[in-house]
Parts: sequence; C-alpha cells; structure tokens
Amino acid sequence: MTYPPMPRLTGLTRFFWEGAARRSLLILRCQECGYYTHPPRPVCRSCLSMELAPEEVSGRGAIYMYTVAVTAFHPFWKDKVPYTIAVVELAEQPGLGVTTNIVDCPEKLLRVGLPVEATFVETAPGLTLPMFRPAIRATGPRAASEVVDRSEDSARPAATAGR
Amino acid sequence: MTNDRVAIVGVGYSTTGRRTGLSSRQLAVQAGKAALEDAGMTPADVDGVTLSWDVAGPEPEGLEPVNSDDAAHMLGIDPLHVSSSGGGIVFAHPAREAIAAVRSGQCHTAIAFRVINQRLSVPDLMSQEAPESELVPDHWTDPQFARPFGQVLPVQWPGALTAQRHMDLYGTTEEQFGTHVINQRHNASLNPEAILRDPMTLDDYFASRYISKPLRLFDCDYPVDSGSAVIFTTEERARDFRQKPVFVDAAAFALSWKPRTAGPESMVFTWNSPGATAEHLWKQTDLRPGDVDTVQFYDGFTIWPMMWLEALGFCGPGESGPLIQSGATRLGGSIPLNTDGGACNMGRRHGANFCIEAVRQLRGQCGDRQVPDAKVALWTNAYYWACLLTAD
Repeated sequence: MTYPPMPRLTGLTRFFWEGAARRSLLILRCQECGYYTHPPRPVCRSCLSMELAPEEVSGRGAIYMYTVAVTAFHPFWKDKVPYTIAVVELAEQPGLGVTTNIVDCPEKLLRVGLPVEATFVETAPGLTLPMFRPAIRATGPRAASEVVDRSEDSARPAATAGR
Repeated sequence: MTNDRVAIVGVGYSTTGRRTGLSSRQLAVQAGKAALEDAGMTPADVDGVTLSWDVAGPEPEGLEPVNSDDAAHMLGIDPLHVSSSGGGIVFAHPAREAIAAVRSGQCHTAIAFRVINQRLSVPDLMSQEAPESELVPDHWTDPQFARPFGQVLPVQWPGALTAQRHMDLYGTTEEQFGTHVINQRHNASLNPEAILRDPMTLDDYFASRYISKPLRLFDCDYPVDSGSAVIFTTEERARDFRQKPVFVDAAAFALSWKPRTAGPESMVFTWNSPGATAEHLWKQTDLRPGDVDTVQFYDGFTIWPMMWLEALGFCGPGESGPLIQSGATRLGGSIPLNTDGGACNMGRRHGANFCIEAVRQLRGQCGDRQVPDAKVALWTNAYYWACLLTAD
C-alpha cells in the first residue's frame, strides 16, 4: 500500500481531519467577530481575537483556481493522473479558500467560478479528504454530466485547447 | 554613515549544468571568484557576504550545505562585517540583504550568493515510498492542507493554478505562453552562456508534454547545479574597480494578500504580491515604465513574466498575452524581455541570472543580444521582488 503524504495532526489541525472523517467540513471561526480562517491559525486575521472554534460550513463554494495535474510527483499519484487540484472559495466568506481536488467533473466543465459542493473521499486508510464536485442544483439531484457546459459560450478557450 | 546609492560592480557564475558533480561549496567558491575577477577585486575589498542555499527539493545523499560564514572563510574575506544565510529561497533575499547592508553602512562591499544543487529527478522522487516523508518541502502554504491533495510541487501551485486562472479570467491562450517561450529561446540562442540554445517553434512548444495544465515542460525553468554571485558596494568605491558601475535606483519587496485588481481577498498571495511590489517600487523613483530599456523577469513558469509585465505597468491587467503576441517583448521590440533566455534556458539560478543579465545589458556587454544603448533595466524575482538598475 502506497500512502499519500499524511497530515500530521496537531492541537490546531486535528479537528479538520477528524471532521472530514465524519464527512463534515469544519473551518476555524472567530467566536468574537465571526471571521473564518483557513488553514487553521491561532488568531483571527480580522480582529486578532484568539477565541476561535471549528464550525461546520455549508460545503458550497466556487472554483477560484484549478489545474489538471498530468504528471505525478509522488508515488501515490502514479496511477491517479490526471487529477484536478483546485482552490475553492467557500460560500461563507469572500476569499476563504481551501486547497482541494475536484472530482466527478469532466475536464471541459472546469472553469473559474464553477459552483461546487463538498464530497468526502477516503483516499487511504485513515485519511478522508474533503473534495468538491460540481454543485447539484437546488431543484433536485442531478448528475454532474447534466451541469450546463458553458465552455462554448464563455470568452475563454477550453482548458484543454491545444492550438 | 549611510550610503544612499548602492552600486553593482561584479557578477559571476560557477560552472552550471546538470549533475556537475560539484559540491555546494565548490559552486559558491567558483561563483565568488568569478565575480571578484569580473570586478577586478581581491577578497580584501569585500567585508560582507549574504548567501542563500538549498537544493530546491529533497537532498541527494551526501550533499554538503554552504553558508555565508563558510563562503567568506573559504574565499579569505576577513574581517567579515555582515554575514547572513537567513533570507529565503531565491536570490532576491541575499540581494536585498546585501543592498540593505551596504546602504546602511554595516559593510561597504557585500557579495550576494545564490547556490543551488539540483534537486532529485522525478524518477528519483517516484522511487521513494516513504508514506510520511518530507519528500517535497512546501514553502508557500501549509503543507498539511495541500500535499494530501496531491499539490506537491511549485509547478502546480503557484505555477499552473495561476496560469489557468489567468486564462479563465482574461482569455490568455496557450499560444501566447508558447510565443513567450520561443521568444526567450531565441534570445538564448544568441547567448553563449545559455544551456538550452536550439531555436524552437510554436510546433515544438505544442509538441511538449503537459506537466500540470496549462503548463508544459517548456514553461518550466530548467533545474541545474548553479552558483551565482553579485558584488554590491558604495557609490564612493564603485568607480575604483574594473567595470562600469551599475546603480540600484529602486528595490522593492512585498507580500500582499489583498487584491490590487477586482476580486476577493485570498490566501493566494502570489496573485496579489507583484502588484504590491510594483507600487512600492515606483514610489521610490522618478523613472516610469516607459523609461525602461529592457526587463528581466523571473520565469520559474511562463506565467510569472506575464504577471510582472502587468503588475509593473508595461500593460494593463490581463493584457500581457496580447503584448507578447505583438512582438513588443522580443529583441528589437519596445521592451525586450529575458534577453539571456530566462531561467528556462539559462538554468535555474533562482533569480540571480535576471540581475546579472540586467547588469550586463547596462554595461553593454551582451553581444548579439545587446539592447542598443540600454540605460535602465528592471529585474524581478519570484512574485515579490523588483529592482530597477541604471547605468552610470
């Protein structure tokens, strides 16, 4: 069994990984002003209070940055390329980014701003990661493949364009 | 006593290449001797050393480090009034410390070094199986919240994530990336010191493999063993040596998490820092982008020189792709970019080559790639350092 780099749980970060194992996305939040901070830090970056506590967030957000990783640089990903690395901006707060993977999403649908929602994937024994997939509309469950492909009507070239 | 104007009077490189067999100490000594020779100096003329060393990745077995005390001791610099190996991972840090040390009068002459031993190759990395090993140090984010997701190397973040976002926001194309790549390869073909010198076409660019989309192999700098050294001194001393001095007109460092253009605050400070650096730089000088004759912009990945063109005001936000396609950044264009070929072709010297090429352009020593009558040059490093140099 090849493991990915495993997080080393500390007093500051344990909640995040234990939450993920319970399929819950927890983000550290200031108990005085309500500002979220991620990755976890011992201080609120908005009001400098040190009273922070993990709170469950909605798991909704939008892709802020992404890349389709084609080359593996660690044995764990040797048979997993290509995979998508992204920073997702969570709905709770502008600029609240989490580094993650996008799954269940055809490459041509990837775009900055794509609405996504959290999903939890056990990638190795003892490691569950909060990943994201295209958001299913509030009208009811839809497969990711039904999400409208806007790559044709946007100004940008498709992510996979050659020339 | 403080010295308002700091000059650059010597530059030099070690033997540079893949698997040179040279230790970090040998690379440092070679680079230091080359810079002293270039300046026409002896070690007795120097009283400060700043040095940044690392392997830019996991250490090959048996590798010996080098630090500033060590470099000074080996080169016979004595007494040593400034010694720093703290800094950070690119040449900007020892350069900044050397400029500050000379300007403040802590020393009169400092050599800034960047020494890198080539990282392990990808096959080497892939053969390691340690589940919790620190295979890839991540200096930029909290690794615990990045590496389990397979974000393990800079080509992914900040490189590819930034490049892809630029494409999505501005319509930047892979052809524009490729045009920059072949432009600077052309410059390298005119530079005897460049490592990769064979001319390239857009077809060659598109035939190269993706590493992390949209970045391809040729969008990435070329890892090598290298030692680089630059000698900074006071204006008072600058004219006593062999070379025509080049002066530091402005030097700026900035990390910023706040957006300069529309958009949310973000943990993605690579996106915001070039703009904050540019603001800090242009406040220090009466010169303006239109006064600059050539720019040497850090190209760890193709997206960085493009971000710098925009941040420093050579075009508007998102306009670097069209600027490159217009030919403006080629030799003979209005703002020749990376005239030595950049780190993609010179090899990874972590920023030092941009400083050294800017100096040589201002001295008029660049032969077939010389920008005629260059008087003002600008170089950058990583996403947080910019330095404006002027001829005497």
